[in-house]
Amino acid sequence: MSQDGNDVSRRRFLTAAGAAAATAGLAGCSGGGGEDTTTESGETTGEGETDQTETETEDGGSTSVLRYGRGSHSPTLDFQNSTSGEVAKVTEQLYDTLINFEPGQSTLTQGLATEYSLEGQSASITLREGVMFHNGEEFTAEDFVATYRRFVDSDYEYYAGDDYVSAYGPFTLGSWIDEIQVDGDYSMTIQLTQSYAPFLRNLAMFAASVHSLAAIEEYGTDLSSNPVGTGPFQLSNLDDANERIRLEANSEYWGEGPNVDEVVFVTIGQNSTRAQSLASGELDIIDGLGAQSSVQVENASNANLVRTEGINIGYMAFNMASREEFRDRRVRQAVSHAINTEAIVNEIYSGFATQASQPLPPNVLGHNDDIDPYPYDPEEAQRLLEEAGYGDGFSFELATFQNPRGYNPSPIQTAETVASNLGEIGIEVDINQQSFGPFLEYTAQGRHDACFLGWYTDNADPDNFMYVLLHPQVEEGELTEGQDWVSFDAEGYNTSNRSAWANRDYMDLVEQGQSTYDEAERESLYNEANQIAHDEAPWVYLDYADELRGVSNRVSGFQIAAISGPYLNLVSLN
Amino acid sequence: MISTRFVLKRLLLLVPVLVGVASLVFSILHLSPGDPALTIAGERASEEFVRQIEESLGLNDPIWVQYGRFLVDAAQFQFGESFIIQRNTAVREVLANKLPVTLELAIYGQLIGISLGIPLGILSAVKQDSITDHLTRIGALAGISVPIFWSGPLLILLFAQVLGWLPTSGRISVLYNVEAIRVTGLVTVDTLIAGNWEMFVSAVRHMILPASVIGVYSMALISRMMRSSMLEVIRQDYMRTARAKGQGAKITVLKHGFRNAMIPVITVIGIQFGGLLGGAVLTETVFAIGGIGTLLVEAIKVGDYPIVQGTVLTFAFLFTLVNLGVDITYSVLDPRIEQ
Repeated sequence: MSQDGNDVSRRRFLTAAGAAAATAGLAGCSGGGGEDTTTESGETTGEGETDQTETETEDGGSTSVLRYGRGSHSPTLDFQNSTSGEVAKVTEQLYDTLINFEPGQSTLTQGLATEYSLEGQSASITLREGVMFHNGEEFTAEDFVATYRRFVDSDYEYYAGDDYVSAYGPFTLGSWIDEIQVDGDYSMTIQLTQSYAPFLRNLAMFAASVHSLAAIEEYGTDLSSNPVGTGPFQLSNLDDANERIRLEANSEYWGEGPNVDEVVFVTIGQNSTRAQSLASGELDIIDGLGAQSSVQVENASNANLVRTEGINIGYMAFNMASREEFRDRRVRQAVSHAINTEAIVNEIYSGFATQASQPLPPNVLGHNDDIDPYPYDPEEAQRLLEEAGYGDGFSFELATFQNPRGYNPSPIQTAETVASNLGEIGIEVDINQQSFGPFLEYTAQGRHDACFLGWYTDNADPDNFMYVLLHPQVEEGELTEGQDWVSFDAEGYNTSNRSAWANRDYMDLVEQGQSTYDEAERESLYNEANQIAHDEAPWVYLDYADELRGVSNRVSGFQIAAISGPYLNLVSLN
Repeated sequence: MISTRFVLKRLLLLVPVLVGVASLVFSILHLSPGDPALTIAGERASEEFVRQIEESLGLNDPIWVQYGRFLVDAAQFQFGESFIIQRNTAVREVLANKLPVTLELAIYGQLIGISLGIPLGILSAVKQDSITDHLTRIGALAGISVPIFWSGPLLILLFAQVLGWLPTSGRISVLYNVEAIRVTGLVTVDTLIAGNWEMFVSAVRHMILPASVIGVYSMALISRMMRSSMLEVIRQDYMRTARAKGQGAKITVLKHGFRNAMIPVITVIGIQFGGLLGGAVLTETVFAIGGIGTLLVEAIKVGDYPIVQGTVLTFAFLFTLVNLGVDITYSVLDPRIEQ
């Protein structure tokens, strides 16, 4: 055979080989979104043995190691650097707040502050004495002031920077604090910009934890990987390559515990793999469970599924600014009646959620127990539509995010159910699905007709739902007399209010609630506001999602919490 | 044997390729919807807060200014700091953490693929249409066809849950602090360097399932390519001549056939290995091994521009480098190619 012929055949091979490999490469890359739904496997047997529970140390001693599995790694170890809940899980172990949430409750208790009170526009706080930071420095009021200034004061020498600090800076503290007066090492008075009832609760949020002044000066923004707190654990090792965070017990801790020597946070993105790791004894506590992985945990012989009512809400917002139809209360009520939320919660969310009836979830002050969810009633819906003059129906676009979120674990399926439910009363729904980032932008600009969204509480205060999500927060001049909605373009408009709803009675009640300190009085204000929000239906109230954790049988003392936590200082291993 | 000129020429070709990739990534990111400042700020941020972030990150600057800045930085392998995934950490640092993870998986996977694929392919070709051949081909086809997101969890279920022989996920038992002994970032190597036998065993045990999943897939492709390439070579005149001169069948195939049949196989291996460096996303996801692939997918999902840009460019760089290696290997195998 000639040399030429030989050449040709080699080239042919190369081409074929290239094509084959390219195809294979594409196949390998596609579909890798890491979505939990693709690879949920069947039941776990929980019978597997493992050698992963040995806890011998190299020097022959025995160490108890608590292994906590979750879906994502911490993007930072600084509570001022991110709003992410994954950050909070770890910083809650490393740091303390002045005020704490009672484990598993939404009530407040002492933290680094032993006394606290709020009167008018000033909060008086007495600090705990003799608390030591992990660097050996003693905690004083100066640490709190430095921490605060590093977060929100751009004139401060150690201000962490606009591209560093998280939105919790202004949201939790900066917008409400006028100045902090320090009176000795253990006493301070915080002057507020206005009467603001949720303030003490804001101090209990992870973002209001306390850095050490000495550490702020020493590390600056490197605190994101060199945490120095007063918490029950201190950082032993941050392993970004393997997405693991190793903490060791702080023997000097002022509070209860810790009862284990070490805690390791382990990242396993896939829900089913995480549940399998729990079942095979490689992990002790896992969170971020979907419906299917919860069943895996329930079926495991060596672990239990622990659940509690969450403090969150999933809803569908009508955009009253963009659609005239939605400005008629009867249309909103009709849609609320036409959507079978009971079926959504039971079938699509597998019962790991409760049907919602109002903006405020249970376990938050002001939740109105007398309000029932809108019953599924297509006939009533049809009647209301006809009464409103839309008997022939209309069509609108429902914007939704694609990936599961806690309060809406199957957004696309939920949207399809909504579309099919509304189809029955002649309303045509066009589903517009986007990934979460672009979706937030799209809806914050008011470009949606209706959209799904939801909210996890920051501080378990009614204001955190009622004012933040349904109050327009614009000046009086931006409102139009006799009109209960406002444009997204209005000056200072609160875009978290995706409905553009501006109901005067509701706004008055919620504003009063914000500045009322008497709990009973507050409760009745929010009860009434919830009734209005239910009747006026600016949202279709979908669900309150449960909090779910998988906990190994060898764990005791674990307290599931809908806010704050996990309280790993209370956990022991059998 | 290999001329420096050849290598230099190929290296220079890297420049336009990388500039092209960089520009493509930049424009795709900036054309796609989603404001990174809004993503960083989150749902709790006021509009003013978002504007502040935009300004501090230079996202307000005209697009060509941003592009120029990006190119200049990228030329120095600077991609700025991660927006979200590892807040305010240099992308370089993030990649330095993640690359070894991917590299280790790719190396072991490919080793398994090569060491099984080549012998099987040769066997299959030499014994064409025999039972061995058919079995190997069916096995290879199955290897290519079975999706990893199915076989992965199944293997976990069998080996970790039912039999309890191997761990479900990760790279080493959580009880070991592998970061403390980090040298190369490859856990199987670092544990050996540290001389910690228990840790090494743990690392190997963790590597078995994911590397096998990748290995079986590679094996399938390699053996198929080896077989067809070998079949072609076996029919060549020089092979017949060698046999006619009285040389044994084994020697003829291994000495005269193998080297010539390897060229297309090397191509497959090169492209595959290059692809694996981009991250075996599915394998990484199923076995919770957070490498480059998972990082990139996450970064795209949350809109972490610097990470996306850095990862894609690094990948493009490595891919072209591997292909350069492939080209050099060609010229070793067949000196005519250098021209």
